[in-house]
Amino acid sequence: MAELRPDHADESRWNGMRGISTVPTYVVMQPTTLCNLDCSYCYLPFRGADRKMPVPVAGAVAAAVNAWARTGRFSVVWHGGEPLAAGRDHLARLLGPFDPGVEHHVQTNATLIDDAWCEFFAEHDMRVSVSVDGPEARNGDRINRGGKPAFDRIVRGIDTLRRHGIPFSALCVVGRPEPGLATELYAYFLELGCDVLGVNVEELEGVNKRANRHPAEAVTAFWAELVSAWRRDPRIHLREIEWSLRYVAAVLDGTADDVLPRRLDPIPTVAQDGSVVLLSPELAGFHDPRYGDFTSGNVLTTPLGEILAAATETPWIREFLTGIEACRATCPYFGFCGGAHAANRYFEHGRFDVTTTDHCRNSKIRLLEGVLDHARDHQSTAV
Amino acid sequence: MPEITSPRLSDRVEVDPVTARLQDTRAGLAALLQEADAARREREESTSGDGSAVCAWNHFENIPTFYNWNNRPR
Repeated sequence: MAELRPDHADESRWNGMRGISTVPTYVVMQPTTLCNLDCSYCYLPFRGADRKMPVPVAGAVAAAVNAWARTGRFSVVWHGGEPLAAGRDHLARLLGPFDPGVEHHVQTNATLIDDAWCEFFAEHDMRVSVSVDGPEARNGDRINRGGKPAFDRIVRGIDTLRRHGIPFSALCVVGRPEPGLATELYAYFLELGCDVLGVNVEELEGVNKRANRHPAEAVTAFWAELVSAWRRDPRIHLREIEWSLRYVAAVLDGTADDVLPRRLDPIPTVAQDGSVVLLSPELAGFHDPRYGDFTSGNVLTTPLGEILAAATETPWIREFLTGIEACRATCPYFGFCGGAHAANRYFEHGRFDVTTTDHCRNSKIRLLEGVLDHARDHQSTAV
Repeated sequence: MPEITSPRLSDRVEVDPVTARLQDTRAGLAALLQEADAARREREESTSGDGSAVCAWNHFENIPTFYNWNNRPR
């Protein structure tokens, strides 16, 4: 095991996340602004309006993506609104311009999934991820436009996926970490049969103004408990645990500085009208007197590659990069985290050159601390 | 253990406090890493012979709804 080098100059210790890559690993597409649900914690504006993406927007994005996909694995994520609310015919037209080598993913609330959608997923080799917050009692925030619980429809949709043998991932939002919750959630997702699980502690962002500040002990204990639950039956690829263990392994191997990507992924989000927001999809659709509408261009007038090459001409992005350097210089968790996310900085602090956010605390710092607490309390291999 | 709230490194410390805490937990972490590695093999996630955490990570790196360290759709 290599000995870690003494390090007095934290500014030079971490060499990842310097600048923005001009080629993304994936593009987020908004086929419609509409969502048929009205979840209490949703950050999306305009989710009550049905503004569909015109096909020429998809064509413009495909012009760049098809070239990128020829040199390596590349994905398009159909996000929302609720992407299935665009309808199968329209979504098929939007998929049309993309080469067969491009991977397609969809993040869906599952309520609209039926046999025909499952056939669509299979036909287009679309990878499916569903949003569900655990057992019925934990889904109180997932409601329809009439304020009624959406859980039954969510379950029906997931059951349909299972009946068709379509593998799926799941995203779970945790509003309030509390003892017992992690165990309950993990048992639920084992039973649900997802291959991959991501757990998001609710965030204050977008039109969701609910506070996300929790006692440190409660959040750390939540993550530690989740590790225990996962360790008893690790059939699911649990995103947060894999993230943490990758960093842990690298530190113990003396390769911690290799963990972060060398440059930030720009993650272009293409809104239904072709406008492009980089780095944080959650900023799409918002406006600020100081930063404008956060967009860096529109694919209908400028090729996506050119928009990415000129990313730092967008004023808020320059400020964000200053914020990344501030994180690098001051935060001992930087090698694990890579810097606070743009949307969390903005929605929590109103600007981008700040550092620690409550999202950092809940989903990065306390996650790693929870994993370490678990390991400290389980020094033998027995759980 | 409480999270580290004084992030500035001191000239007197040899490693940053997060790394130090992690090294102090080495025994427990080694067991956890071993089990995680076995779990990945069970899930057939390993993309190379050594089955390291990094390989598993890379395998999932481009599942966009689930990976992006600097941000992700939520």
